[in-house]
Amino acid sequence: MHIPDGYLSASTCALLYGTAIPFWYTAFARVKRLLNTRLIPLLAVASTFCFVIMMFNLPLPGGTTGHAVGVGAVTVVLGPWASMVSVSIALLIQAVFFGDGGITTFGANCFNMAIVGSLVAHFTYRAVAARTAIASSRRVVAAGLAGYAAINVAAMLAACELGIQPLLFKDASGAPLYAPYALHIAIPAMMLGHLTFAGLADLFVAGGVVAYLQRTNPALLGQKSAGGATKDASPAEASGWRTTRPLWIRLALLMLLTPLGILAAGTAWGEWGAKDFSDPLMRQQIAAASGQVAPPSEPPRGLARLSSLWSAPFPQYAPPFVRHPAFGYVMSAMFGCGLILGFFLLVGWMIGERSAVGDRTST
Amino acid sequence: MTAPIFEVRDATYRYHEVTALDGLNLTVMPGQRIVLLGANGSGKSTLLSMLDGLCFPEKGSVTFQGEPLTEDRLSGQVEFDFRRRVALVFQNPDVQLFNPTVFDEVAFGPLQLRWTKEQIRLRVSEILEQLEIAHLKDRSPHHLSTGEKKRVALASVLILDPEVLLLDEPTAALDPKSESQMIDFLVSCSGGRKTVVTATHDLDLVEDIADYCHVFQRGCIVAAGTPSEILNDHELLLSTNLIHAHRHAHAQGEVHSHPHRHGHKH
Amino acid sequence: MTDAGKNSRGVVERSLASFVDALEHAFYAEESAKKNGLLQKLDPRIKIAAVFPLIVIAALARRLGVIVALFATAVVLALLSRVPLATLAKRVWLGVLIFTGFISFPALFLTPGVAIYTLPLLGWSVTEQGLRAAMNLIMRAETAATFSVLLVLCTPWSFVLKALRVLRLPIVLVVILGMTYRYIFLFLRNAHDMFMSRKSRLVGHLDGREQRRAATASAGVLMSKTIQLSGDVYLAMRSRGFQGEVYVLDEFQTHWFDWAMLAVFISIALLAFWFGR
Repeated sequence: MHIPDGYLSASTCALLYGTAIPFWYTAFARVKRLLNTRLIPLLAVASTFCFVIMMFNLPLPGGTTGHAVGVGAVTVVLGPWASMVSVSIALLIQAVFFGDGGITTFGANCFNMAIVGSLVAHFTYRAVAARTAIASSRRVVAAGLAGYAAINVAAMLAACELGIQPLLFKDASGAPLYAPYALHIAIPAMMLGHLTFAGLADLFVAGGVVAYLQRTNPALLGQKSAGGATKDASPAEASGWRTTRPLWIRLALLMLLTPLGILAAGTAWGEWGAKDFSDPLMRQQIAAASGQVAPPSEPPRGLARLSSLWSAPFPQYAPPFVRHPAFGYVMSAMFGCGLILGFFLLVGWMIGERSAVGDRTST
Repeated sequence: MTAPIFEVRDATYRYHEVTALDGLNLTVMPGQRIVLLGANGSGKSTLLSMLDGLCFPEKGSVTFQGEPLTEDRLSGQVEFDFRRRVALVFQNPDVQLFNPTVFDEVAFGPLQLRWTKEQIRLRVSEILEQLEIAHLKDRSPHHLSTGEKKRVALASVLILDPEVLLLDEPTAALDPKSESQMIDFLVSCSGGRKTVVTATHDLDLVEDIADYCHVFQRGCIVAAGTPSEILNDHELLLSTNLIHAHRHAHAQGEVHSHPHRHGHKH
Repeated sequence: MTDAGKNSRGVVERSLASFVDALEHAFYAEESAKKNGLLQKLDPRIKIAAVFPLIVIAALARRLGVIVALFATAVVLALLSRVPLATLAKRVWLGVLIFTGFISFPALFLTPGVAIYTLPLLGWSVTEQGLRAAMNLIMRAETAATFSVLLVLCTPWSFVLKALRVLRLPIVLVVILGMTYRYIFLFLRNAHDMFMSRKSRLVGHLDGREQRRAATASAGVLMSKTIQLSGDVYLAMRSRGFQGEVYVLDEFQTHWFDWAMLAVFISIALLAFWFGR
């Protein structure tokens, strides 16, 4: 489901780049700590693996392409953050070197496949495999499901991103400027191909890889040595969740504070002051921003009361680019990211607590 | 009495349930040209990795000039110095060639050791000339022939002028011309200053490049001696899988089998 | 190969073909990069800074006319850089046309708007809006792809990596990117050899289940081989003194020509942006 250049509008691209950046930052910071270990070539190998797997793509009319990504296999072996790095790099090489997947849409593609894909695969695998033995067949099933889930969620995201284009971005005559298929076409087109072929391909690849490694190289799947020394930690553990907790707590907090940026910008949609309702120029703006629906002639009473209490901090001091809608999008994206991360933090903590309890009661 | 440059005492190493080295003992004197002779899987490559500080014995010890080679000791400045003085050329050149061009490949080592730009450019050109691969300077390593790759790999370690050269199957997979070029080079490069340890199963090399041989089998050294002693011991060579006896036909049409090896004899 | 083996052979051959294609593509990149054309002469950093905005604007502009003008610019650039148009056609234009054409074909009929042509038998109408939508998509994809491929064809990959590092991209990215590039071709050759040996050992026809088992087993073996390879490569890097930091010989020097060309490209970009709003 590589989205090439030209399928997504500027604001969509900006939004998705904005969402991807915090995850990239965290992932690279995490992986950098592993720079002088054997994991670096392993990451390059994983990138290679994904690249090769992604080469087999079929165009899906109504969508983009259908293909397996390999993100399930890579996440199971390397952990979510390293997987984000690997898959993003594979996508980068494909985009720049082979013209497969666009440059403006690189943020979107990475977000769908590398970032969300890795997270979905990671949580699915952990949920299904739980704490079963390394060599159990349940792990193989878990990996397969992780791959399947990751790919389908990524495809769904891509379908949504493509599907809203014709709704929002049309030229004067009504012709879609970017991707031309609305949601009701894009979603079935993408999902059909991925729920069947591409999804099954990823399922088999992930499951097959885990099964093979169980027989030949179980250390890569995470044998916990008695002392828990980092030298013997599996790649997934070295780059995984637990050890990076402080880092992404900070990151989540940072992103949750981004609405302050939006507030600093002054008038964005919905933030009009009460007096804007009587100013004719502003009324025109409001109407234009609200799909040509004329605003009421008087400000709503609640708004009149509130607006005296609350006014945007420093609208006249904010630099001009801050007023541009794209900036607002990027900020909202980061805020949304913060919410997502916060959610995963919570879930991860809860799962951790439950399985710790499980450990204590089972021994 | 000069001190040995390498001392391996009772080294044991297991990898994935296979015992690669089993209580091995070996002493290498400075300036010696040694060949580790053995069939594939006999442990020679593992020993070379150990001499290069890339893997460490589970039991026993390895020392370089009296200092033990352990994972903890080998880091930071100590590791820098060691890497400059000991170089390993891997059996599979593809493993060793990971830079975008031949020039970058040869410059990699000096760059890690923080030489200046001018030093690097000068020395890289010299080395490329010496190994007759200057015309390949801007090519990518993965488009070269095996012989060219091996020469690039060799150039990339020789540029650091190491005291010890460890070579893993230097003539494997080479065509006759490349092989003879390689042998010429190996013969010329040990002028008494360098210590050269070569791992091979190619008996023809032994006569040309070695002062002393150690014969490997299943992780142990089963025999040691001068090249002529070893090469004339047919039973030993047969039992360690270095020569074979299979049915073949001589010119007269008679079909039989006896111990022999393929290749030239003089 | 028997007739019954055709099914499995088809997939294998197509895989081989795409592998070999990828290899050729890379090889070609180095060849074009050595010619004496316009793009080849520019400092890689300037090149990236100059072409990148053009790609972005081509992908996002709202007026078809502007996109077509940018495409014309790309063609001129190709000619000035001595890249044969036939090669571009084969590598980029045809592929994108087929690909994006296939994807956007239904849009001709599905987009609501003014009907301009009705198919005789089926009664489906092509709308003007549908035609514009399809054209937008195709021209954008073609233009952006042409610029990207030109950039890559005319710059040695090593220079791209160095330029990235000089532009302060994270070290981890550049190290892994460089190694991944290297491994892609190694991996492909391994896979190619594996498929060739499998193909030559294939007598008769594998049923679906056996095919799938063979495919997943192959994936596993390839993965394992490459993991082994990565371990060896890491050891080789350590052996040559790699301790985590990456150093690069910075040889880039800009001349007045680079800056002049940058000015030209930026002007084109600004014009395109202005007219394409």
